[in-house]
Amino acid sequence: MLETQRSTNIELFTLAEVTDLQGYIGNFEVEILQHARYTNQDCNGCGACFDVCPANAPSEFDQGMGPRKAIYTSFAQAVPMQAQIDMDVCIKCGNCEVVCELTAVNFDQQDTKFSVKVGGIIMATGWDEYEPEYGYLGYGKFENVITQLSLERMLAPNGPVVGHLHRPSDGKPPESVLFVQCVGSRDINRNVYCSSGVCCMVSIKNAKLVKGHNPSTEVVVAYIDIRAAGKGYEEYYAASRREGVKYIRSKVGRVREDPKTGNLKVVLEDTLSPDKTIREYEFDMLVLSAAMLPSKTFGKLNKVVNLSKHSSGFLKEFHQRLNTVDTDVPGIALAGACHGPKAISETIMQAKGAASSIGKLLTNGEYRINLIRAISDEEKCSRCGMCAAACPFEAIKITREEGAVVDNILCRGCGLCAAVCPSEAITVRYYRGDQYENLIDAMLEDALKEGGHA
Amino acid sequence: MAGTIRAQYPASLRPVRVMCTARVSSDMVMRAFNKGADGVIVGG
Repeated sequence: MLETQRSTNIELFTLAEVTDLQGYIGNFEVEILQHARYTNQDCNGCGACFDVCPANAPSEFDQGMGPRKAIYTSFAQAVPMQAQIDMDVCIKCGNCEVVCELTAVNFDQQDTKFSVKVGGIIMATGWDEYEPEYGYLGYGKFENVITQLSLERMLAPNGPVVGHLHRPSDGKPPESVLFVQCVGSRDINRNVYCSSGVCCMVSIKNAKLVKGHNPSTEVVVAYIDIRAAGKGYEEYYAASRREGVKYIRSKVGRVREDPKTGNLKVVLEDTLSPDKTIREYEFDMLVLSAAMLPSKTFGKLNKVVNLSKHSSGFLKEFHQRLNTVDTDVPGIALAGACHGPKAISETIMQAKGAASSIGKLLTNGEYRINLIRAISDEEKCSRCGMCAAACPFEAIKITREEGAVVDNILCRGCGLCAAVCPSEAITVRYYRGDQYENLIDAMLEDALKEGGHA
Repeated sequence: MAGTIRAQYPASLRPVRVMCTARVSSDMVMRAFNKGADGVIVGG
């Protein structure tokens, strides 16, 4: 990320959102809403203001397990390394302004809107963790049931418990931990898709970390099947088994809490044991491997960008096998988890593909389009506007002088406008009625000449 | 389809490609008959 900021060819807008998108390949116009940060570029993120700020809020980065101040950086390696003020939390005491030696704090900053012209767009909106509904597998109801991202922060040396694993209810280091796979994924009542083996590998990694932290901890993974499909992944899985992580092929039945100890009683069916033992196990802590979802803010953004989506809610690629980098809108490409659940290595692969796909378009200097486009007959057109309403690409504008005007670049030649036009004024080039008539005539003339039947 | 499944079909058959079978109007079918076609198959 730091490299991105340092590159002179890249302009970075952080704390910003895209509010409008116009134009087409080579000529997109993007409207950006830049939210006020309340500090200027002189800020070097020294953190002196964090110490004097009296207002606290739960840290989003630490999954709400630790505090942050009203003036803060979202996490330790944030880019740019510049503090921001959360005005919902700030009490406007002015301490930060006083203590800042660089006079970087500015309470008068306003949100601004501006437009940039770009030739191509790469979508890289990422993902969010599925939040299990209250009570599902005890989540939210029992304190010692947490999700994978919370565990991730707990195990981090710079996290809220500086890497020492404690369970939330009483702060005791857990003696037994159960990882539950496929929470909210591979489940017809929630999300049907598999989160692409990412949660399997994260669970294996975290199971190894917990075990490494204290080898006497009993670590069990309840799984449907382990999807360790990647280079070196199977070996990593085998290594975790050698280190003593136990794997039970089971969906999780009932989760109850022992009110005295806060321990969790979990029913598992060991489907690989000869008699398929159904037994109640007791664990100190439960970690839910929750599904990957498209990022929460993505719905709002896609009202502007308007890309087609897969039934899972992720963005649709141009072709599922032959082109998974571009979208069906020329000039817009995909990178990472906005396209589907995927691991970092695949994300980087796709991102490089997306960059070269857009780069190729931009360096070409010209872009060839198909001539199968809608054309309108000014004389026949009654200016009713039905074609414009039917067009999924917003390629048609109605003018008083010329009737329906088709933008040849936005038009994709789908023919919906031709189907709804009551006066047959708008047609698709190469697929017009008289062309069909001529085609049929010529074909039959030809065939009958050759001999006999047609 | 006939091509991909390696099926044989008579050389006197003439395909007219349309974007969608809904594009085929009765006028088009009748025109073909008028011009001497023995039959019309609408397939999609």
